[in-house]
Amino acid sequence: MGLILLSIVIGWAFAYSAIKSRIFENIYISIIEVFESVPIISFFPIVLIIFVDRVGGPLGVELAADFLVFTAVAWNIWMGQYQAFKTIPSEMVEVTENYNFSLWHKMRDVYIPFSIPRIVANLFPSISDGFFYITVSEVFTVGVTSYSTFGVGLPIDKFAKNGNLNFLVITFIALGIFVVFLIAIVREMGNHAVAKYTIDTEAPIIKRGKPRIRQTSRFSAIVSQNTLGKLASYNRVRKGPEDLEELFSREKKNSKIGIIAGVLALAIFVYIIYSVVMFVMSVSHSEWSYLFSQTPALLYGLLIDYIRVIIITLASIAFAFTLGYLLATRRRAEAVGVPLIQTISAYPVPAYFPFIFLGIYPFIIAILGPLAEEGVVLFLGFLATFYYVFYSFWMGIKAMPSEYNEIMNNLDMGFFKKMRYVIIPSTFPYLISGISSTINSAWGGLVIGEYWPDIAGGETLQVHAGLMKTIDVSTRNGNIALAGWGSFLFAIIVAVYSILFTRKMMDLARKKYVAEEGIYSV
Amino acid sequence: MEVSGLDFRYDNGYKVFENINIKVERGKFASIVGPSGVGKSTLLRLFGSFLKPEHGEVLLHGKPVLRPTPLISMVHQSIVTFPWMTAEENVMLSLKTKGYPRAKCEEIAQKSLDMVGLQGFENLYPKEMSGGMRQRVSVARSLAAEPKVLLMDEPFAHLDELTAEGLRQDIYNILFNPESSLECVIMVSHNLTEVVELSDQIFVLNNNPATVVGHLEIDMKRPRSSRDPVFDNYLDQLYAMLTKKKGGTR
Repeated sequence: MGLILLSIVIGWAFAYSAIKSRIFENIYISIIEVFESVPIISFFPIVLIIFVDRVGGPLGVELAADFLVFTAVAWNIWMGQYQAFKTIPSEMVEVTENYNFSLWHKMRDVYIPFSIPRIVANLFPSISDGFFYITVSEVFTVGVTSYSTFGVGLPIDKFAKNGNLNFLVITFIALGIFVVFLIAIVREMGNHAVAKYTIDTEAPIIKRGKPRIRQTSRFSAIVSQNTLGKLASYNRVRKGPEDLEELFSREKKNSKIGIIAGVLALAIFVYIIYSVVMFVMSVSHSEWSYLFSQTPALLYGLLIDYIRVIIITLASIAFAFTLGYLLATRRRAEAVGVPLIQTISAYPVPAYFPFIFLGIYPFIIAILGPLAEEGVVLFLGFLATFYYVFYSFWMGIKAMPSEYNEIMNNLDMGFFKKMRYVIIPSTFPYLISGISSTINSAWGGLVIGEYWPDIAGGETLQVHAGLMKTIDVSTRNGNIALAGWGSFLFAIIVAVYSILFTRKMMDLARKKYVAEEGIYSV
Repeated sequence: MEVSGLDFRYDNGYKVFENINIKVERGKFASIVGPSGVGKSTLLRLFGSFLKPEHGEVLLHGKPVLRPTPLISMVHQSIVTFPWMTAEENVMLSLKTKGYPRAKCEEIAQKSLDMVGLQGFENLYPKEMSGGMRQRVSVARSLAAEPKVLLMDEPFAHLDELTAEGLRQDIYNILFNPESSLECVIMVSHNLTEVVELSDQIFVLNNNPATVVGHLEIDMKRPRSSRDPVFDNYLDQLYAMLTKKKGGTR
């Protein structure tokens, strides 16, 4: 929670800097877009190199865990805050300028309240991701050394290793109560935020020119949800003041803030790059030869993992298309189903999966035989990630113009025709965003599932081949170089995939499949 | 088409209609008028069975209508098109459930687009069209479904005055074209001039819960001019019905 709060506060500062400085905006958005499209798990070697190796000690371990959790929760919240600041109605900004509001008053009275619905909307996936990585990263083993930091991940790991089932169950119940409580609070906050902070006037919005990079569908999805979205295509130029030196000097000051924030962000980025380069320089030639010789095997493992990710994603989509549709179209089912899935998704899979494993493994062995472990890993991956595409699809249907529903009913369309001609195209921007997140998080599920020693009842869960298994095993054996190299290859391929495929789909979604553009009103 | 003894209340318990009885004869253009918030659009949705009445029934050719059907087609107040489909594909959407071969669908879509004056614009996407053209597409989509009844909810409300005037002049001929399957049209509007210009029958809704407080038959040749004294007289009658208090005084 501390990290989420921290990321929100930093996000406001960055978002304000981004709307005030074009240079900072371009750098900032480019970095966020890359980071949010790369699976969090690919940050693991950087975490090991910088925090555990360079910083070291309990502080390094704490920072490593914090960094992983931070990377899990920050990007989508930051993007939401930036989008909110970017789409604030120009009239609101003009009022603050009219009354000569200070930066503090502008933030407190206009920018921050306006950003609250977006932040709350992004809290659900952030909390789910945060818990997942808390349970994964608070205890990890490198070679013979086990690193741990204080948090719920520590007792879970300790009780599981000692076979202390009673304490383990108590910890899970406590965690469950906390998760339900947290989700209830976030839901309440969501209702409050929508009731209090959303605006429904059709007012022009500020658009100070797009960032130079192409925008993501997450952007279009959120903009298209906004009632202002349909007006986003026309730019209203704010009239400049006649004289007002003071305003000019304030604008200068604001741009200075942007420059300072930009320089700070750049410095952190350069430090990270420097640390990585220094580490790479310290690797010997023989080590490099070894790593290159392992590359074909690593790539084969990546291919196998991609197939697993595709299966998990297809299962998640099938789940979303059936249950998501059912819940979005039946009010009573929705009232029960959505909070239930929200709670399940926020409860960290690594915490409860050993119990599921104990329950289902004998049956899976009986059904799948030698493929049993594969089936278990796929199921684990599904549990870790299905809710992204489910939520996106569900939200897409909820945001669909009500007139579309009436037309589908009017034309007496069946389920498949509705899906094919109206619902899937209408929800396409949401789906792409959800599928992208599902794919990214599926890797997290594979990392824990492909090699899980002593998962439960003395069994070790492990697959025949897979890059995530190699990374996990190498880390545990202390072969950081191989783990780092595998993660590096993985990050490169995933980033290329993201640029070539995900972004193209996002562009297509933004260009063609914005349902709100189908409703014309003046 | 008719509704009889219709009562309806919202989920929050608010009673919107009480004992609504409306009958629209074959070949007639009927309109429903009433003050803002009286429930005109809601009544149209009851006609289309998008909403279920608390009491009473909706009848087409004397048979009850229990759920939405392509035989009763709706044109929305907000102009609804699908941005990922061309004009022709938008129209063909209403033929998807009929099981026609593609060539026949294209032929019907083409005919419907011709009917609304959009020949030559088949391949444009909605965002490449003006509001008036988009509304013509949505009318063409409704007509392509070969409905018996067309429900129109303030169909000109989101058009600028000049475009609306042009479309109003065309709409009667489009709808009652010899090639059209339509038997009647029911339109909701708050624009009294528009209603007198287009309608054969006008039903006036008022009170709380709303009931039909007046019924007017318009007997004027088409095209009708709003400068005609007879036109003015009808407008006055409508105005009187709308402003008459319960109990008989104005």
